[in-house]
Amino acid sequence: MARIKLEHISMRFGDFYAVRDINLDINNGEYVTILGPSGCGKTTLIKIISGIWTPTEGKVFVDGMDVTNVPLEDRDVGYVFQNICLFPHLTLKDNVAYSPRVKDQGEEAMGSLSTEYLSLVNMLSRAGMFPKEISGGEQQKVAIARALASGSKMLMLDEPLSALDARVRVELRYELRRLVKKLGITVVHITHDQEEAMSVSDRIVLMRYGSIAEVGTPLELYRHPKSVFAANFVGETNLLECTVSERTKSGKTRVKLRGGQEVRASKTAFNVGDPVVISVRPEHVYTANDGLRAEVRSVVFMGTYWRVRTIADSRDFVDFNVPADEEVPKEGDVVYLVFNKKAVVVFARPQGGIEEEIKLE
Amino acid sequence: MSLLKRIDELSGSSKVRKAWFSFACAIFLVVIVIPSIFVVTNLVTDWDLVSMVAQDEAIRSTIIGAVANSFSIALIVTVIDILVGLPMAWIMVRKDFSGKKWLDTLLDMPLAFPTAVLGISVVMFWVAPEGVNIPGLGLNLSPYMLLVLLHILFTYPYMVRSLSAILEQIDPNYETAAMTLGASRWTAVRTITIPLFRAGLATGFILCFARSLSETGGTYIALSMMDVKSSFFTGPSFISWLKDTEPGGGALMYSSDEMMGAQILISVVMIVLALILLIVVRRLIARFHFPMDKVWPELGRKVSRGALPKAKDFVTIAFLIVVVLLPAFYIFMYLAEPASDIDYGGLLGSIGISFLVAGVAVVVDILIGIPMAMYIARHKGQKLGQLLDSVVNVPLIIPTTALGVSLALFWGSLGLDSTFALLLVILGHISFTYPLVVRNLVGAIEEVDPAYEEVAMTLGAKPFQAFRKVLFPIVKSAVIAGGILAFTRSLGETGATLAISPTMNTVPVYITNLVNQHAYSEAAMCSIVLILICFVIIFGLRMITNRRSRRNA
Repeated sequence: MARIKLEHISMRFGDFYAVRDINLDINNGEYVTILGPSGCGKTTLIKIISGIWTPTEGKVFVDGMDVTNVPLEDRDVGYVFQNICLFPHLTLKDNVAYSPRVKDQGEEAMGSLSTEYLSLVNMLSRAGMFPKEISGGEQQKVAIARALASGSKMLMLDEPLSALDARVRVELRYELRRLVKKLGITVVHITHDQEEAMSVSDRIVLMRYGSIAEVGTPLELYRHPKSVFAANFVGETNLLECTVSERTKSGKTRVKLRGGQEVRASKTAFNVGDPVVISVRPEHVYTANDGLRAEVRSVVFMGTYWRVRTIADSRDFVDFNVPADEEVPKEGDVVYLVFNKKAVVVFARPQGGIEEEIKLE
Repeated sequence: MSLLKRIDELSGSSKVRKAWFSFACAIFLVVIVIPSIFVVTNLVTDWDLVSMVAQDEAIRSTIIGAVANSFSIALIVTVIDILVGLPMAWIMVRKDFSGKKWLDTLLDMPLAFPTAVLGISVVMFWVAPEGVNIPGLGLNLSPYMLLVLLHILFTYPYMVRSLSAILEQIDPNYETAAMTLGASRWTAVRTITIPLFRAGLATGFILCFARSLSETGGTYIALSMMDVKSSFFTGPSFISWLKDTEPGGGALMYSSDEMMGAQILISVVMIVLALILLIVVRRLIARFHFPMDKVWPELGRKVSRGALPKAKDFVTIAFLIVVVLLPAFYIFMYLAEPASDIDYGGLLGSIGISFLVAGVAVVVDILIGIPMAMYIARHKGQKLGQLLDSVVNVPLIIPTTALGVSLALFWGSLGLDSTFALLLVILGHISFTYPLVVRNLVGAIEEVDPAYEEVAMTLGAKPFQAFRKVLFPIVKSAVIAGGILAFTRSLGETGATLAISPTMNTVPVYITNLVNQHAYSEAAMCSIVLILICFVIIFGLRMITNRRSRRNA
């Protein structure tokens, strides 16, 4: 069992808040990713959860117990480091057996636990090797085995895959999820890679400037983001400035783009005349005989589809996708774009402008 | 400029580069390595002298006793250095506190003091012998104990530096990782960090051991001040004593044949033992299995928390202050005394000689050290690189007095006699300062990705241009650091200078002579003047390099 609860957690370095007033509940066995641009306080947060740092304010509860001041070595939290950190002078087996050893659980436990967890990550055949003799992906598997062998029911993953090759990264992340789900472990996984977050998590915590920006399942965040920042950071999207031009009683909304073109959007609670931003993902933009007039600026083959970038009459860049085996427009062609109205999400226009809102630093 | 251009052009040819490297190697062999161990051949050529001495019961037992003292003192001092140096390295690398910069500077200061000065200062502080008008602690220490205390002073900074250098390379996350797995801080350090220390321990051990083994000036002064210079010996102090023409000196007791035989014998014994030790220590530390299989979780927890870690830090700092800093700076007490008359002419003359010797030695070190360091750093994996890497250490481990004896014999056999004293002294100082410069440079160059130079060359730079415009600016601070180390080391050296030429009046020799004449307060004032001059120079150089590095950053 490992249910984690954070209450008003802040970490201050001098005048600077690395994280500020974080409240979060993580359920037993849940796989939570903390997603955010670099410097948003993700790592600080899991260092606080695991006990490496003590927060300057707030409390950490595990299964209802206040563990804020329990020292690191008694927290019983598995932690996997970004730079892997296998002990270079110990064999893989000794690395995995380290936790049973320092807890003085005896030779037998050391042997059986290291065998069990090495085979769990399919590394038993390399048990006698040293970390530098195996590849980065294999090292990270052993590091995960080492963390699990401590018997901990919580696993903190600090960008565990970011140092690995693209291929290995993708394979390992599914294996990781399969493994921890099998063992019923609660996982907090940090990443700045939104694709990684989408594909492994039960729930994503989106962070920005040391605070939680939004929490939700991958699908919620993708389909119904609550902010321009989330819409832009999770997945790719086109953002267009506009004003509400019409709204029916049931909430169906029409907006007017710069240049006068009107677009139908999903239901909202805005009033006519409100300055808003619409977000529409490239896969929900189609070409038609009529619609928003746009000129093609570039056409790039992405491997499984074409990405077409246009500049619309509304002075916005609008990207859309064309399947790989279909005909694509050429640079300089004029196309007419329509949006899937159910996928057009409307936000209040941010005070500082869109650029400021989606800035990553 | 046209000369530089021509060198640039020439450096494009691999033949020229090979020739230059071979030249540096040849100089290294002929000027540094061979002269350093030449004395071993005298065992054969002067066998009659040596065997005469070896058969003299009294001299033989004195030599055995002296060598035993040297090695046992060096061993004790090095072990203490490791024990107290480890927590100190931790404080310097892993802790952040106000005043750390000051501590950092203070730690290096004993290295800038000539050891002769440290000798006076330490004896005054602990013992306060007769004739010294500044009151010390007045403890009744045996000469052996006192030498241990003295040698800690100038070896401890080396130990802390080498250990800190390694600790900085060790990712603190290893310790954190161990702790997330349930290890207490103490257990984590013992099972993870310390085993990763091997290389640092070996370097620190060898540096400190060699330094203690070869130290002459401070040791001999301390023994003179305690009035035991003719009854208690270390290897190097025995050689100094043999050449000492003052009352109580060995020169008055032995014939020149006996002196020569005794010198050769003790030099050879010390060189051979030191070289054996160098090899043994390297092997041992590489193989040594740290006792880490067993853990004691409860004990580890107790030791990691509460008052104990604080007590450990307190003891470490207290040790630094009481055993290292206070005794080193005690000589400044003389500033409170009414000024005694100093023979400024004599002092300045000797300072001039010292600076000339040290300056020339450092320049030569750097010129022939750079190609050597580049080769070693870039060919670590190859046989020749590894061989050179070990051989460079040889002059470092050989007691400087023995080295001096060896050098004098070598160049003497080539016809360079005492009329070339200055040249010989410079050559001698090059020998034992060269490894310091090369060591520093190898470390720095290893850190620089060769890709920088390769990029420069893809952009059309000739190898020498790439070196001049890319590599050198990056490692310049290491060159200067090595240069300062070599300069102060040369400035403080007594034993080798005396062994090469008893009449060459460098500063430490000048101060030693004053002490022998019991002119303590004059010796102290001269020391203070010398320390101040050293500080001004080092400080100035640091300022210049700091400003440069800030501009580059």
